[in-house]
Amino acid sequence: MNRRTLLTGLLATAAAPALTACGGITSLDNNSASGSTGAASSAGGLVIGTANFTENQILGYLYAEALRGVGVKATVKPNLGSREIVVPALKQGDIDLLPEYQGSLLLYLKPKATATDPGALQNDLAAVLPDTLEVLPYAAAEDKDVFAVTRATADKYGLASLDDLKKLDGKLVFGGPAEDKTRVVGLVGLKDVYGVSFQEFKSLDASGPLVKGALKKGQVEVANLFSTDVDIAKNDWVVLEDPQQLIPAQHVVPVIRSAKADSKVRKALARLGAALTTDELMKLDDLVDNQKKDPDRVAASWASAHALTG
Amino acid sequence: MLELLKNLARWLVSGSQWSGTDGIAHRLAEHFQYSILATIAAAVIALPLGLLIGHTGRGAFLAINLAGFGRALPTVGLVTLVFLVSGLSMWPVYVSLVALAVPVIVTNTYAGMAAVDPETKDAARGQGMTGMQVLWQVELPLALPLIMTGVRLAVVQVVATATIAAYVSFGGLGRYVFDGLAQRDLVQVLGGALLVALMAVALDLALGGLQKLLFRHRTA
Repeated sequence: MNRRTLLTGLLATAAAPALTACGGITSLDNNSASGSTGAASSAGGLVIGTANFTENQILGYLYAEALRGVGVKATVKPNLGSREIVVPALKQGDIDLLPEYQGSLLLYLKPKATATDPGALQNDLAAVLPDTLEVLPYAAAEDKDVFAVTRATADKYGLASLDDLKKLDGKLVFGGPAEDKTRVVGLVGLKDVYGVSFQEFKSLDASGPLVKGALKKGQVEVANLFSTDVDIAKNDWVVLEDPQQLIPAQHVVPVIRSAKADSKVRKALARLGAALTTDELMKLDDLVDNQKKDPDRVAASWASAHALTG
Repeated sequence: MLELLKNLARWLVSGSQWSGTDGIAHRLAEHFQYSILATIAAAVIALPLGLLIGHTGRGAFLAINLAGFGRALPTVGLVTLVFLVSGLSMWPVYVSLVALAVPVIVTNTYAGMAAVDPETKDAARGQGMTGMQVLWQVELPLALPLIMTGVRLAVVQVVATATIAAYVSFGGLGRYVFDGLAQRDLVQVLGGALLVALMAVALDLALGGLQKLLFRHRTA
C-alpha cells in the first residue's frame, strides 16, 4: 500500500509540469465548449482508479476504452482497495476518475443520507462532494441489492413485489448476509416499509454460493442478492419490485476531478453510460467471474462492439 | 483503546447479554455442543485408526501423509463445498470440524504407539501375551499420554474453529464474531473471540486435569 501511494504520488508529480505546460493552450480551445468548467483539461491524460472487486475493475477499463476512443490518454490502476481507500485517493489527486455506485457512495460520504431515487441521489452527491470533485451523468446500469424468490415460490404465493410479502408476514424464511439483520436495506426496512417480518433469518453470504445454494434448495425463500448477479437469470429467479423505493438506486456513476472533466471526457463517459445497461454489465461480470476472461480484454472488445472506440 | 476495553467488560457482564437465544449462555452451550460432538466423532474415527497403524506398523506412511493433507484443507472452503451438496444443515459444520480433528488425533496416537520401546513389546510377547493383549495391556497404557495430548490439541482446534457454524447461519460463539463484523461492532467481535479463547483454554485444562486424575498412579 505504502509503495503504491508513493508510486502514484511520484507519477502525479511527474505529470504536473506537463499538465501546466499545455493546460493554457487547451483551455483556450475548450473555453467555448465546456462553459462553467472553464479551465478543465484532459490533455495530460487521466488516471482511473478502481476498487478491489471484479465489476469495478471492468468499469474502470470501460472508462479507459471510452476515453481512448476520443483521443484522451487513460491509465487504469486496478484493484486499489475498498471505498475507504479509493475515494481518499481521488480527493488527494492520486487518481482522477473512479467508477462508483450512487447509493453506496452517498452513504459513504454522508452516513445519514435517506435519498433512494436516482435523481435525488445525483443531487445529494453533487452537494456533498468536495469542490474539486463532481459526479457525471449516471449510467443505465445498476448494481443494487434486490430481494429475490424462486419462480416456484413466486407462482405459489403470487409474488411480484415486496408489497405482496405482507400477506405472508411471519411465514417465510429469509437469507442474506449477517448485516441484513440490523440494516435498513434488510430486515429493518422490510418490516418498517413493507410490514413484513420473517419466520426466520438465515445469516449466510452476500449474493454468494451459500445464499444462492440455499435458495436453490428451497431452504430460504426470500434472498438478498445483487442485481448484476448472472445466476438470477440463469435460475429464472424473480426479483421482487420495490414500489416504496426502500432500496437506494445504485446506478454506476463516474466521479471525477473537475480539473480533468472537459467536454471530451464528459461526452465520452455519457455515451458509455447510455450504452451500458444492467444486462450488459451482468454479461461482462459473467465473462470475467465465471468464464475467467481478463477484465481489460473484456472491456476492450465490448467497447469496440458498441462503437465506443472511435 | 481503554474505552474499548470498558465497553467489552460491560458487554461481558451485562445481564441482558446473557439471556435469550442470542444470549451468551445459550451461545456458549451451542458452541460447547458443536465442539464436543465433533471431537467425539473424530475420536471414534481416529483412535482405532491410529492404534491399528501403530500396532501393525503398516500404512503409517500413507496415514501420516493423508493426515498432513487433511490439516492443510482450508476449513471455510470445505464448509462451502459440503454446503453446496448438503444444503442448509449442520453437515458442513460437523464434516469440516471432524476433518480438522481427525489428523491431529491419528498422528498423535500413532506417535504414542511408535514410541513404545520395542523391547518392552518383545518381552510382553515372550511372556506369551497375544497381539491383542500386547495392544491393550502394554502399548495402549504406555502411549496414552501422547494420545491424550492429541485429543486435547484437537479439542482446542475444534473449539477455535467451531465459529464457522455461524458462517452457515447456525449459532455458537461465532455468531458474535460474524454479526459483529457485519455490523462493525468491534465490542461484539472481541467479546465473541475472548469467549472462544476462554472455552478452549478451559476445556484443555479440564482434560489435563482429567488425565492427571486418571493416571495419578503413574510417574511417566
